[in-house]
Amino acid sequence: MIIQNSETTVHEADICIVGSGITAAMMAAHLAEHTTQSVLVVEAGKPTTAFRDRTRARERFLAYGESPWKADHLDDQNAFGTTWGFSPSMHVGGLAMHWGGVSPRYSPEDFQLRSLYGVGSDWPFSYTDLDPFYQEAEERMGVAGEQGPPALDPRGKPYPLPPLPINYNLAQLQQWAGKADIATWSTPSAKNSVERDGRAQCQRCDTCYPVCPTGAKYSPDFTWDALMAAKKITLLTQTLIRRLEADAKTGRITAATGNRTDATGAPVTVRAKTFVLAAGFVWSPHLLLLSRSEAFPNGLANRSGLVGKYLAGHRNVNAYLQLPMELLPGINAQHSLVSKQFMRPGKQSRYLRHDLRIWESSVGREPRLRDDNETLLFGDALLKDWQQRAKGATARVRGYYDVLPDKESKLWLDNTHTNRFGDPMPTMAFKDAPESAALREFQEESLRDLFRRMAKAGGGEILRMENSANDLGQEHPTGGCRMGTDPMDSVVNGDGRAHDHENLWVAGAPAQPTASCCNGTLTFVAVGLKTAAAIAKG
Amino acid sequence: MATSEPRGTARRDFLKAAGVLAVGTATVGSAAACDVKEPTQTAADDQGLERVRGFDRTMLDAVAAAVLPESLGAPAIRAVTDRFVAWADGYDPVAEEMHGYGYADIRYLPADPAPAWRAQLQALDVLAQKTTRQSFARLPLDAQRAVLSATLRTERGDRLPSPLGARHVALAVLAFWGSSPEAWNLALGAQVSPATCRTLGDAVKRPLPLAGERA
Ligand SMILES: Cc1cc2nc3c(=O)[nH]c(=O)nc-3n(C[C@H](O)[C@H](O)[C@H](O)COP(=O)(O)OP(=O)(O)OC[C@H]3O[C@@H](n4cnc5c(N)ncnc54)[C@H](O)[C@@H]3O)c2cc1C
Ligand code: SF4
Repeated sequence: MIIQNSETTVHEADICIVGSGITAAMMAAHLAEHTTQSVLVVEAGKPTTAFRDRTRARERFLAYGESPWKADHLDDQNAFGTTWGFSPSMHVGGLAMHWGGVSPRYSPEDFQLRSLYGVGSDWPFSYTDLDPFYQEAEERMGVAGEQGPPALDPRGKPYPLPPLPINYNLAQLQQWAGKADIATWSTPSAKNSVERDGRAQCQRCDTCYPVCPTGAKYSPDFTWDALMAAKKITLLTQTLIRRLEADAKTGRITAATGNRTDATGAPVTVRAKTFVLAAGFVWSPHLLLLSRSEAFPNGLANRSGLVGKYLAGHRNVNAYLQLPMELLPGINAQHSLVSKQFMRPGKQSRYLRHDLRIWESSVGREPRLRDDNETLLFGDALLKDWQQRAKGATARVRGYYDVLPDKESKLWLDNTHTNRFGDPMPTMAFKDAPESAALREFQEESLRDLFRRMAKAGGGEILRMENSANDLGQEHPTGGCRMGTDPMDSVVNGDGRAHDHENLWVAGAPAQPTASCCNGTLTFVAVGLKTAAAIAKG
Repeated sequence: MATSEPRGTARRDFLKAAGVLAVGTATVGSAAACDVKEPTQTAADDQGLERVRGFDRTMLDAVAAAVLPESLGAPAIRAVTDRFVAWADGYDPVAEEMHGYGYADIRYLPADPAPAWRAQLQALDVLAQKTTRQSFARLPLDAQRAVLSATLRTERGDRLPSPLGARHVALAVLAFWGSSPEAWNLALGAQVSPATCRTLGDAVKRPLPLAGERA
């Protein structure tokens, strides 16, 4: 329901979801199927490039590097500090409009780090508890995957879609990895390996990240379009929620208030019975901190003082290797092999867990302007030189290793940057827990050693190795509203319900206590779906 | 043309890190979902940017013929040059760059490189006149390449720049061709056609050799 008065537009719904990213989209789809309650989704940005325009957007991205995502951010709404892994995109569908679609699950160990390895934190539930929600997430977005060795890749049910094929290049790389006793399989991806849901089969054109012209890669707009066409939800765009208002006595959230982000800047109020923060890892803790009041001077859900704390993520070591085989780079460059062998390391003297991905690469195989004697190359001489250099093979290997977050890995309100409404913007500082910092050199050197061993086993050599560019920030960032059973040690419970406010839920990435060592979005969504199921149950 | 690395660097790094071949112009395959036109439409005019378009084709054709592989044949070289002109004309200066992982600020593409490229074509001709008393376009191939070598003497050689980041028009044409799927196919001796739409299932087979090549 919408009530218009002279000052503010008031919207009413049973459930208000703040944010329209992938977590929100999956949750809204779940809620639409499992409750009769009305759902209102509030998004700060506009819809970005429509599906019909993506072919052209891709073309201009390839030709010039232009962003394929039009007007996908708010100029004055940005984060500062060590923001590697943060994207300024704020629009309908969130970051997953331009994600790569790589969708691995965490491993069972991730949920029991403290019990198994004496580091980090245990989650308040196990991998087995999350398995049905992983499955639901995979089915809703359409994940194509190959069952890996069950001990390394346990699943309750098969992948919804057959795997993306192990192509000619990857087949050779798989054999090579086998020589180093590494089991690899097709990386699970939210890309159609067969036509599905009216969307095309993948055509291996390799711009999944940042834009898929065919619709083979899942993006949240597909879910929003379907939900709106079926009149299952209301989506309120260009509306920035700036405060959640809580009853001083009961702690219940009574309203979400904010402003239009269009030229009017008009005030908006949303009244609901249930509020869900699905605004991603930066904006969810930011909104809780912004919502401070006399009754809640440290912001909402912050009895523990941990809102904005324990930001988590992972870093990587990356290598390019020259191998004695012939690869033809470009067959399907964004597809890869994955191994989870090192995410389940068993008993070891020092803690190290990492994933392993293997790609074809064109590094070292590009055309050049001068030969080894520094003579300029033109015409056929350049082509001949290039043809020589293009022979052979380069592989790229990368391991994400997990970084355990420190309490002081944090996001705070920074008055030196404000948006048009005068709200302080977030500044972030990532910090490794001391146990993680002490292990870092050993962990990175172990990964380099593994790459050397792989090169040697296949008769190849390392061309170059590098650490993630994101020495301070981290990839697939999570945290800021960590979950747990103890209200003094966490912000939300295992279902994502705020300890301090019975009708407030924080969904997905921000609720996670740790970030594993692989791409996180599938887990963010699965955790969000667990929350949606708890909300639907009432 | 600015001498510093252009903002396009971030995109190149992204493509490199993502393991994607940098493809200068999209010539996408037959699949209907990927069917595209040449990237000539631009929003630059809407933004009030006055843009001169086109090149001195006699000079540009001569430069292209001097730097591109002669074995492509004159019609193919002409086609590359036509596409290069369309690409340069279609550029939207200072359009927003893709922002992904790596930085949180909004970055923009560089200024229009074409005016400098036009001036360089003129300068090549002046240099040819000064050193050989002939116009560049009339010189034999060896002499044209000698003039180009003198002009490009400070260019680093380990790889070609991105077309947009090329500091000289000769490099821009070369890099434009070098980043196309066709050029990669020639280099690899197989019909790989990077970054074009193809059938997924075919990916398991070794790509077919180019016509006239042995597998
Ligand atoms: C280039 C790139 C490639 C990636 N590739 C992969 C990959 O291959 N695999 C993988 O696992 N992950 C990948 N990721 C990460 C992935 O995209 C994100 O983890 C995921 O999209 C996060 O989803 P989310 O729903 O948590 O939040 P978001 O996508 O951040 O959505 C939150 C939404 O809430 C809105 N919002 C925020 N605050 C407010 C407010 N106060 N009022 C109203 N609206 C608000 C925002 O505008 C936004 O739309 C990639 C990310 C990028 C940038
Ligand atoms: S490779 Fe497949 S998923 Fe990726 S952009 Fe192309 S069609 Fe889309």
